[in-house]
Amino acid sequence: MAGSSTRVKLLWIAAILMALFVLPDRSAQAQKLDVLSLEGWAKLREVERYQMKIAEKYYLEKNYKVAASEYEKFLSLYEASEGAPYSLLKWSLCLIKQKKPNTAISEGFQSIIDYWPDSAEAVASSFYIARAYKDMGEVRKAKKAFKEVVSKHGKHLVAVYSLVDLADLASIDKDEDEQVAAWKQLTFDVARTKESKSYCEKASQQLASWSFRNGKVDDGVKALAASYPEEEVPTRVRDYVRTPIGELVKSDETREQGHDVADKTVSWIRQQVPTGVAPEPKELSKNYWLLSADVLGYSKRPEKVREAFTQIQKKFGADDAILQRLGDWLKSQGEYDKARIEYAKFENKIEGNNQIAYSFYQEQKWEQAVGTYTRNLSLDPDNQAKWNQKIAETWRYGRKIPQAVAVYRELISSDPDRAETWLWNVAYTYHHYGGNFKEAIGSYRQCNNFPSNLEQMADCHRRLKQYKEAIGLYGQIIGGSQSRAPWALLQIGYTHEQSGSKEKAIQAFQSVCKRYPKDRYASTAHALLQDKYGISVTLGGAKDE
Amino acid sequence: MNLSRLKSDRRLSATAVIAVAWLACMFDWLWVTKLPQAALGIGFGLAAVTAVVWGRWACRLRAEQQILSSAVASVAFLPVWQFVVFSLDMLDFAEARAMSARVGTATAYFVGLAWVVWGLERTARKFDRERLAAQAEAAVKELSEAAILNENAPASATGERVSNPLDPEAWFYGKKSKRLNQSVAAFLGYSLAFFVAFLILTQVGGCEDIYEMPAGGGEQQQIAQVVKVQKVIRKKFVVNPFASISFNIPPIDEIKLQLTEITKHHYTVGYGAGAGAGFAGGTKAGKVRFIRLEYLGGDWDQDFGIGADVNMLIEYGIRTQQKVEKRTESRTISQLKLFPIGKSPPYVYMTGQKNIQLSKSEIKVLREYILDKHGMLFGDNGGSRNWHSRFLSMMQQVLPNVRPTPIPLDDVIHRIPFQIPFLPYVAPHGGKEALGWRVDGRLVCYYHPGDIGDAWADDHSGVSPEVWEACYQLGTNVIFYAHTEYAKWLEARRE
Repeated sequence: MAGSSTRVKLLWIAAILMALFVLPDRSAQAQKLDVLSLEGWAKLREVERYQMKIAEKYYLEKNYKVAASEYEKFLSLYEASEGAPYSLLKWSLCLIKQKKPNTAISEGFQSIIDYWPDSAEAVASSFYIARAYKDMGEVRKAKKAFKEVVSKHGKHLVAVYSLVDLADLASIDKDEDEQVAAWKQLTFDVARTKESKSYCEKASQQLASWSFRNGKVDDGVKALAASYPEEEVPTRVRDYVRTPIGELVKSDETREQGHDVADKTVSWIRQQVPTGVAPEPKELSKNYWLLSADVLGYSKRPEKVREAFTQIQKKFGADDAILQRLGDWLKSQGEYDKARIEYAKFENKIEGNNQIAYSFYQEQKWEQAVGTYTRNLSLDPDNQAKWNQKIAETWRYGRKIPQAVAVYRELISSDPDRAETWLWNVAYTYHHYGGNFKEAIGSYRQCNNFPSNLEQMADCHRRLKQYKEAIGLYGQIIGGSQSRAPWALLQIGYTHEQSGSKEKAIQAFQSVCKRYPKDRYASTAHALLQDKYGISVTLGGAKDE
Repeated sequence: MNLSRLKSDRRLSATAVIAVAWLACMFDWLWVTKLPQAALGIGFGLAAVTAVVWGRWACRLRAEQQILSSAVASVAFLPVWQFVVFSLDMLDFAEARAMSARVGTATAYFVGLAWVVWGLERTARKFDRERLAAQAEAAVKELSEAAILNENAPASATGERVSNPLDPEAWFYGKKSKRLNQSVAAFLGYSLAFFVAFLILTQVGGCEDIYEMPAGGGEQQQIAQVVKVQKVIRKKFVVNPFASISFNIPPIDEIKLQLTEITKHHYTVGYGAGAGAGFAGGTKAGKVRFIRLEYLGGDWDQDFGIGADVNMLIEYGIRTQQKVEKRTESRTISQLKLFPIGKSPPYVYMTGQKNIQLSKSEIKVLREYILDKHGMLFGDNGGSRNWHSRFLSMMQQVLPNVRPTPIPLDDVIHRIPFQIPFLPYVAPHGGKEALGWRVDGRLVCYYHPGDIGDAWADDHSGVSPEVWEACYQLGTNVIFYAHTEYAKWLEARRE
């Protein structure tokens, strides 16, 4: 008997778990403002559903004009339907997309509020009205509407959106008090859901930054603690204290305050180091100490940072992570040689060499960088391609073209899976670093990444003064790539210009204006025709609906 | 005839009265702008006639009275010149007015300079004579004759240090080329004084730059096509097919319509209760003008003048039936300061495609123009992404607390008086959306991203008729919006 009751209980638990897993998150669904809930769909008759689906299809295709007329059709056919307010809402949204927010407000959103005041769409409408005002630059009306939304629908997702917008509007007005109030509400008062979480997190970050900038370290920490798990907070504090400290120490007047914020932050981070716990969480403690060193670095006090690293090394020894941080900091102080000494102490010799080589690379000491990377070729035989790529890149930036090309060619055979990439790199090196245009054309020809390969080839031909070939290639681009066609046509104009065919160049520029009047290259062509050739008839002109 | 005789002459007292009246008129014309134009015309005309009379009198003087003659002619020149400028201004001969103003200024400068040179020379000679006399006297008493001729003799016979700038022997003219130094100093001093006076008269306080809207009224409504509603009464023929009389029933097309009613939309494009197309707060002499801003760094004068922006002004007049100026004009940003509150242009146009370089004071002038004088800036990107960024950055400085937002197609500015169903542009230099800056709900800046000015030009830049027609309509809407908002503001101020 007892056994059967336990089995029944287990069955119940399993059923509940299954239900939780299978059933959709209804609260989350209800929160989406412009989507009809499953219940909403269920309430529609078949004919209504059919019409609504047609409208939704056009809406999703971003064909807002047609979608609006389909929603309108739904309204005229099924005025008394449960889906009417939703249809009117979507019609209004279509109008917003068609840049007619005033009509959307007066004939759409407001009508929903008036005729279906208790519907979910009415809540959404009140928010959309406020947002439309904001997007139109009607700051006062927008503020009033957002505040109304927050007071009336405080628990709804629209309140979260409204608070975010209110904070933004306050930033335009430079009303710090209102902005901070909105951030605080979002950080501490709003319930975190799947939809609201990201907004609340963002607000807490902004609040923290503001608090740090005003010397309120504890408040900043509190704001971040509202969004992140306890063990993550010190890292976040380090992240968000960086800019405020940097700004404060920049000016003579606020430098002291910046140092104070840094010291308080360091003291708080070090307080988080777990004590009296057995076994001691060494990694965590070390991480916190390193975070505090970072914060001291932001306050631009090198002696303090050195002191901190000495303490860290005394406490935790000199492992790779500590050496890496120390080396990076030394590099930031311009002490490359000292940094390399630290990198050389790495237990992981491959990574140590990588860091040393990169420091040489940063100092533009190409030979030393290549030499160090080469050492990794023998130490790390499994990653030959990775180190060869770094070697080739180093040679390339150092303008050692034959060496770079040789390494890339070696990669083509040793790493055939990415042969196309290496081939492109060979061509690109010849073209942009070596000025060997003929060789570049040869390599580009073997690449298949249309239209980039033809674009580069055409450029090479132009540099070789082979204008006909270049124009031919641009023609191929026009024929094969719709998105790059305006650019290619403009390039044809430039090529004609280079070849001295002024009239053909003008024709090409006029063609850009005429064929692609909405494209940004039409603007370039139009300006060229007017400024360079004094031609006012550019044949452009378009309308944006 | 000498001065003592002149003083007794009644003509002098009459001239003094007219001179005072002329100065009062000048003061009003330059700074106050309260007197009607007719009164100013009478005042200036009277002064000019008086000046001519005196000029003729001066011409008749004998050769030995040449100085008096020149002095009278010099003074008489001013009212005559000023009257010419005023008359040309009244007659709307803008170019001739500007030219006469320039020529007159140059003449005044040179006349003044001639008097400075004359006065300087005269006083210098006087000082020389006195000095020689003093030296001679001293020589008789103390020095030998050789000392009198000695060029290195002390500047002052008494050996005192001279500080009078009119005396070429003044210590600050140095020891060599004293006369030259005095002349250079006088020239520079005079030029500076003239320049300062010129600035005071033309820049400070403002004068000719008043903007008056055309008086009238109208509705802030959309222009609809004229619709004739015709009530038709068709003749009915009741025909008995069995009747012995044969009827010739005309076909329906031939039946004459009997119109009983014709209605049409009939309203005036404007704002206010006045009669005729215009604006409340306007004046009879007022006209809608097209003023563009001159600025440093770029081609502010793109599509400027006949065959270009004048077309827009003409079209505005045709479409709204409001009075418009014949020519478009330009002003520097600093000159916006010259317009008094309540008589400033409701909008100014700004275009270009290069850079925009504004000083801090110009930014301030623009801000004051927009906020205090209720003005509006009509920006038009004449040809580059760079100008777009420059314009936005300029507005960021002018209105740091206002963010630009796209202007909806159903906004008042896109609906009245013409419904603009799409944003027309010649080329998308700064995107495809018109941007607006709003202060208290009013658009204080309308930014067109795609060279609307090019579409207004004679060849319309080769764009389709649909696009350039829409560009004219949009231009009309923007100008009308600015004037309507200005008229509303004037009304509110009056209340």
